Amino acid sequence: MSEINLQKIGEKVLQKASSLGVSSAEVFISRSRDLFVEVSNQQVETMKLAEEQGLSIRIFHNSQIGFVYSSDFSDSALDQMVSQAIANARSTARDEYYLLPPKPAEKYPELDLFDGDIPRVPVEEKIALAKDIEHRARKFDSRVKITERCAYSDSSYEVAVFNSLGVSGMYQGAYCGASAFLVAEEDGDSQTGFGFQYKLKYRELDPEFIAVEAAQKAVRMLGAKSINTKNMVAVIDPYVATNFLGLLAHSLSAESVQKGKSRLAGRLKEEIISPLISIIDDGSKPGGIMSAPFDGEGVPCRKNVLINKGVLTGFLYNTYTAAKEGKDSTGNGVRGSYKSTPEVGTTNFYIENGTFPKDRLLNQIREGIYITDVLGMHTANPISGDFSLGAAGILIEKGELTKPVRGIAIAGNIFDLFNNVDAVGSDLTFFVGKGSPTLRISEMTVSGN
Amino acid sequence: MLSKNELEKILEAALAEGGDFADIFLEKKITTAIGCEDNKIERVNTGIDIGAGVRVINGSATSYAYTNDLSLHSLLQIANVASRAAKSGLRTRPIKVHKKLPHFDFDVELPPDKVPVSDKVGQVEQANKAARGVDEKIKQVTVGYGDTIQDVVIANSLGVFVEDRRIRTRFVVNSVASDAGQVQTGYEAFGGTEGYEIFKTHSSEEIGETASRRAISLLQADPAPAGKMPVVMAAEAGGTMVHEACGHGLEADLVQKKLSVYSGKLEQNVASPLVTVVDDATIKGKYGTMRFDDEGNHGRKKVLIDGGVLKDYMYDYLTSEKDHRESTGNGRRESFREKPIPRMTNTYIAPGKEDPEKIIKETKKGLLVRKMGGGQVNTTNGDFVFDVAEGYLIEEGEIKKMVRGATLTGNGPEALVQVDRVGRDLGFAIGTCGKDGQGAPVSDAQPTIRIKELIVGGTAHEKSAEKKGIKRL
Repeated sequence: MSEINLQKIGEKVLQKASSLGVSSAEVFISRSRDLFVEVSNQQVETMKLAEEQGLSIRIFHNSQIGFVYSSDFSDSALDQMVSQAIANARSTARDEYYLLPPKPAEKYPELDLFDGDIPRVPVEEKIALAKDIEHRARKFDSRVKITERCAYSDSSYEVAVFNSLGVSGMYQGAYCGASAFLVAEEDGDSQTGFGFQYKLKYRELDPEFIAVEAAQKAVRMLGAKSINTKNMVAVIDPYVATNFLGLLAHSLSAESVQKGKSRLAGRLKEEIISPLISIIDDGSKPGGIMSAPFDGEGVPCRKNVLINKGVLTGFLYNTYTAAKEGKDSTGNGVRGSYKSTPEVGTTNFYIENGTFPKDRLLNQIREGIYITDVLGMHTANPISGDFSLGAAGILIEKGELTKPVRGIAIAGNIFDLFNNVDAVGSDLTFFVGKGSPTLRISEMTVSGN
Repeated sequence: MLSKNELEKILEAALAEGGDFADIFLEKKITTAIGCEDNKIERVNTGIDIGAGVRVINGSATSYAYTNDLSLHSLLQIANVASRAAKSGLRTRPIKVHKKLPHFDFDVELPPDKVPVSDKVGQVEQANKAARGVDEKIKQVTVGYGDTIQDVVIANSLGVFVEDRRIRTRFVVNSVASDAGQVQTGYEAFGGTEGYEIFKTHSSEEIGETASRRAISLLQADPAPAGKMPVVMAAEAGGTMVHEACGHGLEADLVQKKLSVYSGKLEQNVASPLVTVVDDATIKGKYGTMRFDDEGNHGRKKVLIDGGVLKDYMYDYLTSEKDHRESTGNGRRESFREKPIPRMTNTYIAPGKEDPEKIIKETKKGLLVRKMGGGQVNTTNGDFVFDVAEGYLIEEGEIKKMVRGATLTGNGPEALVQVDRVGRDLGFAIGTCGKDGQGAPVSDAQPTIRIKELIVGGTAHEKSAEKKGIKRL
């Protein structure tokens, strides 16, 4: 994967646009080599190898904007794309804020994103790692009887952004991940458990951690039953907490604010949630799986404190939303892939660590529920913040985790939930791009029998 | 895209090291997406996605390789990569593929690439205007139009050779209403295996108005009650329940891995005798309709549960081989980047005999669901959840106040056994179903049905005065 190539392609596109009278254009290019291995019962079930490339073009013309993408890098395809992008622009509304980032950045954060081990380690060793996870999980408890899948995956990639105002950024990166999805069985009951890790360094993957996490989760839910409807103290584990955090992300986007879809609009500097909570987005976090020198528009990634001790301190911006308010982009013009436009999005988005070890969060609770899984988070309303979810967990009685619980529903509002946090754990854990410690909520509606 | 002879060469290269089966899936997908928000056309995006994947199956192991490069050289290269999974060294005979014809056909009257973008933009603008015209409390409207033209070539070592063009169109409106610090949203959508002619049977204005009216009425709604109660689901509510409560659990890959509560229950009673569940890829125009699945098998109609008795699962090639039977034509993939897995198409509970209104009239107390939102299921234990986008309380057989924020939680087999009334109507809804990270266009449907008891997860029994007090946002 040579870099010269990408630069040439970028220049070609910008020249073509310029020859058609378009002064503002942008090219985003990505290339990757991916591996995915899935094992079950110590046999490889799926092995997938892929090479992928793609680019997209944005044309800014007469205050209109046009977008196209393709995986075809041939000269004729590039020419056609530029023409199509100009045609698309003609159908969009005029908006003076459709602009490229005002000027190229002086410098980008220096990050260690490419671990040569990831492409270098032979496939056989990676398969062995997935098998090892399965082996350790089965060994952990004999009731772990079914492997839905134990997987290893990695990707080595190159990203480049070029625009007519002189942005010319390229970087190389790699990441790897491993996971286990297991089923424990006992007395006719089946329960699932999962564990996973994503790392920037191959040697940081910990098969034992993933195996034990998945096995423990499955086994501890065996024999789970519903409980009676009531209001109780709830402790939510980091994974579930990141699910709720994801729902809150919507309200912290400047796009939502500007479109009247955020209840946090106009509330800067006010205390909006519990003073125990600070929320940060940091695209330049060392070791962060979503870290990058720049975002999908070539704007440097950086650390943004959005909520500081409960007080709203900022929103996330891409170039368009920033221009609208006469501000700078926060480096949050995020692209899912070359097929998408740079929309306001999160990078490494997390709740700052608290001070309570998990057992101390639990031991002051007379009766409560430790929530370990939720179903249907995508049905929650990101604008109002209302949620009503299926849930599973473990009952807390006199400070101890006692009986597994499933078949319950929890309902409420995300802002109330974060307002009702009365203790924050010291176990900040990341799940890909989102992280949270364990949170204790003073009151939650739990519906059951 | 490639000649028969070239396809045969690639398949032979894929099986050069042995293996039981090989296939190739070539795809060219052209997408157009138009988005309107904040009263203006924000985006007109077009994209071309091109690529091919080669799969080799050896026993229960699959190896898969894909690329964006459709040159013969590159395809032979990925065939070679995929072939390395098999090591039996048994060379298969030369492969000959033969063109397979569809069992049914449907004409797309107005292919999206023959319709000017300005017409599509016009539909989006009309919906936006209609949605905003409903009430001044409508503060934001998002309208999305999307069409795809997917050309595929599928060939496999069993001699199958299929060329197909799939055209889909969808239209979505989201409205946001706000009043006195309250924010509510309403959603409405349609879509089908159709071209632009879909606007002859669906009105973009109506969709916009429906979405906005739903958001407006939710402003007046009370919080939903919490606890167990009878639930009546109207036909127009859509089929999220059947999709989650049993659809996923009847996919053969989950069944074979014993990750489904329906594993090993063929010919057993798994639902009330009133319940018949069908997956049918052949219904004209529906969102999940297809002439061929992504393995070149004919799309077809399957009765999965007949009068409460489990009759069949949904199979792709790999799972059908394991059970020594034919595929049911449910092998689908999101794109050339993915291997096929068993997926639903158009899934529904078959209509019964009763008058839907009578079912409501004869319900003393319960929840009426007029529109379902999204849902999710844990197939291993059967627990499911789905969102109620429009719900009402039923008291003494009458539809009373609208409620908001309800989620229904239940267990698949337990809920289906408790179906005690089935209406003679049938209503469809569209969706994108997610599984193993792959999205697939599907539709689901059901008649008006009543379930004796489901858990409703609402917030009404909270001390509501106090709740309003702390709701500062």
